[in-house]
Amino acid sequence: MSVRWNWVSPRIALIPALAITAIAFFGAIIWTVWISFTRSRRFPDYAIDLADWTRQYERLFGDNAWQTALQNVFVLALGSALAIVFGFILAAMIEREKRGEGFFRTLFLYPLAVSFIVTGLVWRWMFNPDLGVQNFLRGLGWEGASFNWLADSHTAMYGIILASIWHGLGFYMALMLAGLKSINTEIWSAARLDGVSFWRLYIEIIIPMLKFTFLTCAILLSLGVVKTYDIVLAMTGGGPGTSTWTPAYFVVNSYAARGNIGFASSAAVMMLVMTAVLFLPLVLVTAWQARRREAMVQ
Amino acid sequence: MSAVAASAAIPVSRARRRKRIRGSSIAILVFLTMCAAFVSLPLYVVIVTSFKTMEQIALGEVFALPTEWTIEPWRMAWSEVCAGMTCEGVSHGFWVSMKILFPSLLLSIGISAVTGYALALWKIRWAGTFLFVLFLCAFVPFQIIMIPLVLLISSLGIFGTIWAVAIVHSILAMPLLTLIFRNFYKDVPEEIINAAIMDCGSFWRIFFEIILPMSANIMIVVLILMITTVWNDYLIGLIFGGVGTQPMTVILANTVITSFGVVKYNVDMAAALLTAIPPLIVYFALGKFFVQGITAGAIKG
Repeated sequence: MSVRWNWVSPRIALIPALAITAIAFFGAIIWTVWISFTRSRRFPDYAIDLADWTRQYERLFGDNAWQTALQNVFVLALGSALAIVFGFILAAMIEREKRGEGFFRTLFLYPLAVSFIVTGLVWRWMFNPDLGVQNFLRGLGWEGASFNWLADSHTAMYGIILASIWHGLGFYMALMLAGLKSINTEIWSAARLDGVSFWRLYIEIIIPMLKFTFLTCAILLSLGVVKTYDIVLAMTGGGPGTSTWTPAYFVVNSYAARGNIGFASSAAVMMLVMTAVLFLPLVLVTAWQARRREAMVQ
Repeated sequence: MSAVAASAAIPVSRARRRKRIRGSSIAILVFLTMCAAFVSLPLYVVIVTSFKTMEQIALGEVFALPTEWTIEPWRMAWSEVCAGMTCEGVSHGFWVSMKILFPSLLLSIGISAVTGYALALWKIRWAGTFLFVLFLCAFVPFQIIMIPLVLLISSLGIFGTIWAVAIVHSILAMPLLTLIFRNFYKDVPEEIINAAIMDCGSFWRIFFEIILPMSANIMIVVLILMITTVWNDYLIGLIFGGVGTQPMTVILANTVITSFGVVKYNVDMAAALLTAIPPLIVYFALGKFFVQGITAGAIKG
């Protein structure tokens, strides 16, 4: 009797998770993909017009704001990549100079506990042209100082990048620090005995050893960039104009402000495509690492 | 020969190295301190701004300490400031966020812990496949399932309530939390489970009497991960929360972004700080687990 129950119970326990996966993830994704091929506007319309099933996508790629959003994703990804670079530099320095490790780690990581909305609002205040940092710099005698980035459509994206780096720096530092600590300590002493110079040690030995940590960071960063929404809303509200729109912002705006479900769905599907493209290498890397770990155990 | 040369060289090089390390140590510490200043500067600016009077803010000295400390902005931010049409401060949002937090934690951790336990310790043939599917789901951007979830939640008749927000949080967190729990439980020795089964332990009794009591560590990690995620969320609260059930981040954004008339920067900054304080307390109190939580959330998957 108990044996039978012990066969049944775990399967019953898995029902909620299975239902969530099937309905809220798979069902919902299929629904969105389907709707993106229909003429739906405010309400879902499930009929697909086979002669004209790409209409939402044609409109999407003809939309200037979407083009801007796509460009911004690239700019944001490239700019935020600095967080990985600085994260590595900081981690390497903290790892090398053991003094104050706990203090610096705590300090660099705290922005991660702050929401993107608060981050955005705080930096919005820093960028305030009359009362913020710009005014301070001019007060120091640097008359031409321009820190009013958010008001100019050419520089607003850099403001968002700066705030994103501030927010994410500690996270990449923590990942890099974990990677550095996993490196066999013998390598450090061996390199010291061999008289390998500081730069060569890092560039030719340490960084290649951490290539999977770097790859993981890069993929996590780009997945985060695709989803960027809150910080844009808090800092610029998408403006000036549509210059700081991101795909995630585009989807929410098409749905909540324009009330167009079909159009929003097509943009959401493009977000899924981007995520899938970025995600594939992560799956491969994880599988490869798992196999390597098994090989090492054997 | 070379050994002799090496031993002769050691004292010299050691002396030189010690000197060089001290120099580079200082350089490193200076650089780290500068980076620390960059990271902590915004927090400093926000704190001093929130204690200044508007007269002093108008002078434009953003880094100066308040000449006259005032807690008036904090009081206004908490109980008087206007968000859109209503003027009841961010305190209302604070309580809504609290009310959202507890059901979210209970639901998501309950489901994920049981699922992770079942997948890790009970022989289920398709466990591997299901874990891979969960791994994929953990990375799905919210926007792609947002609209169908709105319809789903509306059809349940709870759209715009606290439960809607809590359920959506639980749905979104389930894949990742399950993976974290499963990774923790898979290291439980098989003998313990086998012995427990022999001892007439049922699936649920083993979970509540053996597995749950040994999960304290992973529970703290997951709790921190979930508290910061739920508290800091904006979009789910915006889309699924109705009038009066919007969390603190939404109230804050409405307060600061859609303010009319003279902008009271000190009140805005106090409101932002009030919103940021709960996760910051969690972070500074439980820093070690926080790091584990976010790295577990990031790579363990």
